[in-house]
Amino acid sequence: MVVRKEKEIKVIYAVTILLFAAFLAVPIIRLLGESFVLDTGWGVGNYADVLTGKGFAEAFGNSIVISMTSAVISTVLAFFLAYSIQYTNLGAKYKKLIRLLAVLPMLLPTITYGFAIIYSFGKQGLLTKLMGTQLFDIYGFGGLLFGYVIYTLPISFLLILNTMGYIDKKFMVVSRVMGDNGVTTFFQTVFRPLLGTLAASIVQCFFLCFTDYGIPASVGGKYDVVATVLYNEMLGSIPDFQQGAVVAMLMLVPSVISIVLLRYLERYNIRYNKISTIELQKNPLRDWFCGIISGIILLVLVSIFLVIFVVPFVEEWPYQTSFTLEHLQAVLNDNSLTMVYRNSIFVAVLTAVLGLLITYGAALVTARSSMKHRWKGIINSIALITNTIPGMVIGIAYMLIFSGTPLQNTFWLMIFCNVVHFFSTPYLMMKNSLEKLNSSWETTASLMGDTWMKTIVRIVTPNMKSTILEVFSYYFVNAMVTVSAVIFIAGARTMVLTTKIKELQYYTKFNEVFVLSLFILGTNLIVKGILGYVIKRENKKKEKEQ
Amino acid sequence: MLELKNIKKSYDGATILKNIDLTISDGEIVSILGPSGCGKTTLLNLILGLTEADSGKIIFDGQDIKNVPMEKRGFNIVFQDYALFPNLNVMQNITYGLKNTPNISTQEEVNELIELLGLKPHLNKKIDRLSGGQKQRVALARTMVMKPKILLLDEPLSALDGVIKESIKEKIKQIARDYHLTTIIVTHDPEEALTLSDKVLIVNDGSISQYGAPEEIITTPQNAFIKEFILNQLEIKRNNIFALFHQEIMAQAV
Repeated sequence: MVVRKEKEIKVIYAVTILLFAAFLAVPIIRLLGESFVLDTGWGVGNYADVLTGKGFAEAFGNSIVISMTSAVISTVLAFFLAYSIQYTNLGAKYKKLIRLLAVLPMLLPTITYGFAIIYSFGKQGLLTKLMGTQLFDIYGFGGLLFGYVIYTLPISFLLILNTMGYIDKKFMVVSRVMGDNGVTTFFQTVFRPLLGTLAASIVQCFFLCFTDYGIPASVGGKYDVVATVLYNEMLGSIPDFQQGAVVAMLMLVPSVISIVLLRYLERYNIRYNKISTIELQKNPLRDWFCGIISGIILLVLVSIFLVIFVVPFVEEWPYQTSFTLEHLQAVLNDNSLTMVYRNSIFVAVLTAVLGLLITYGAALVTARSSMKHRWKGIINSIALITNTIPGMVIGIAYMLIFSGTPLQNTFWLMIFCNVVHFFSTPYLMMKNSLEKLNSSWETTASLMGDTWMKTIVRIVTPNMKSTILEVFSYYFVNAMVTVSAVIFIAGARTMVLTTKIKELQYYTKFNEVFVLSLFILGTNLIVKGILGYVIKRENKKKEKEQ
Repeated sequence: MLELKNIKKSYDGATILKNIDLTISDGEIVSILGPSGCGKTTLLNLILGLTEADSGKIIFDGQDIKNVPMEKRGFNIVFQDYALFPNLNVMQNITYGLKNTPNISTQEEVNELIELLGLKPHLNKKIDRLSGGQKQRVALARTMVMKPKILLLDEPLSALDGVIKESIKEKIKQIARDYHLTTIIVTHDPEEALTLSDKVLIVNDGSISQYGAPEEIITTPQNAFIKEFILNQLEIKRNNIFALFHQEIMAQAV
């Protein structure tokens, strides 16, 4: 289709490529270069130093062990929750509750989980008090494990729940009438079709744990992981940028492997031609079992977050436990803290708006233009790469390249960082939706005298409403909770809530930490709630019309 | 008058169409008939201007329009899936083009089309509320408002069933007659092509197999492909219908 010139598409394409060249390619290449800089010139000396230094090898091993353990536990628990929703006759309200609570942790920064664990399971912790004994040592392996599982449970849950929805349950009936027993039926019609997704969930969770900084920052203790080593190399007492660059590059290795594995595992997904709904067999035993296990999982989850609501509202935890609004008042009266809140909102809103524009533009290029496959492939690769690169690595790369430029310590830098870092998921959401729209709209509208831009405004955008809102909400929430990248680029005047929490930890001001965490949670709940309501209404409207 | 001269088109080295020579007179209904993958949709897109021919000429009213962009040719199309805009209601869809070129049709002309296509009771409905036949009529109205010089229809009947199919057929014929509009229809159904059009263009394997009036095709099929695939299919259908009505005919005879 050479006839349509598609000038606008080419402009969008150029802008997108330039953005990712400036804020992804160049910084990462610069970081790679930094890792080879020696006092005496160039070489692999830094790599030798890092790899032979005993601290790193141990931290790397720790990271692998803890990430793997967390990933497996998280996936097993998530499977239980998803199974309870898809394969039991539990009440609709209970299922809704499971759905809601299981994703709650996504609305909080990981650094908060750590503090919540300390205040729940620590020596003076809320749950320790309630049970009269400390269950496990929170600093180190136990705390990290707990934190990582909470962090990855929602992601694993959504992944498994989604695939389960696409399994044709009629095969269960077929299996039963063929004479299979319950166990065989389960393995053949539930477990086997999910195998690819379960493996993908483990890989994805592993990647998230391996690259997260918030949890080890709070409960890592003496159990060093790669993220803490990296932080200390860059912002510790004796910064060594070259060694930090090496650690960052090495952190990329498992990330890249994870993504390659994920791509490979995609092939194992079984696709059913049709999804039929069947009445599930009556089995009160199964329902009770799943209901209780799910209940316990969620109870533990909620109980950990309970402290966030308790600690800031009592006089002085754990000694004076009478109710007070004093700490809340103090935060509200502290201009520096309310300013940080406004900063966060500003960054989150602009991230969402800019991210929306970039993902929409990029997806229009790949889903609705006649540009050559080769060119489209570059955008798809960008999506894949942004999915691979940990936030910490991006943050460090920005720190190296933008220091001394007018962009240093600006909100804009953080906004660009967020847009680039979280590009992958919303881009794919946009692309999938755009591909589903009727492919003849642009041709038809142009025959009616529309310019391309007019068609986008009059026809395409109105039909993308719910996806646009979903992308906005995704970017907003992630910008609110992210810590790993922005910790390296936030300045004293451009603090956001998560970086402020890290700073408050240093001064052991935990009341403020929890109040700010509540602000984040509250804001995310409101935004998600409102947008979620509008999206639901849109989708319902669409469904009713069909 | 539309003339295609020695049109050739290939994608990535695979030839889709070759040696296409064709003349269509004003006001004629022409069906392009052929099995899937024969290149008939590509031919339609070439005429529309959505696809560029590798070589050859497309001449409309004496002018070579091969390099004229789609929206400047003044032709219009109704796609197989109608491509109606679901965020707009029926009336807004029909008058979509008027927003860009307000004077292309007068209000009376629009009303006339609405009347002709029987859309009056549906004007405020959402697109998703319409049946297939209604959608087709809205799409036809929307296109006719643009006063196309040639009307292209991509499989206009394939998504419709039984009686609706016949009524849309009549509407298409009526529009072509009333507006003296050259209409080009892509279809894979011989019955549709032969009963709907003044001329039928049978395409097989990227080139023209036969081009002529329906009677000519029935009485003097020019090659084995037409006999085997086109006529044979019609004969089977005829025999089935006759078999069905056989008893009735016998009963009437007695």
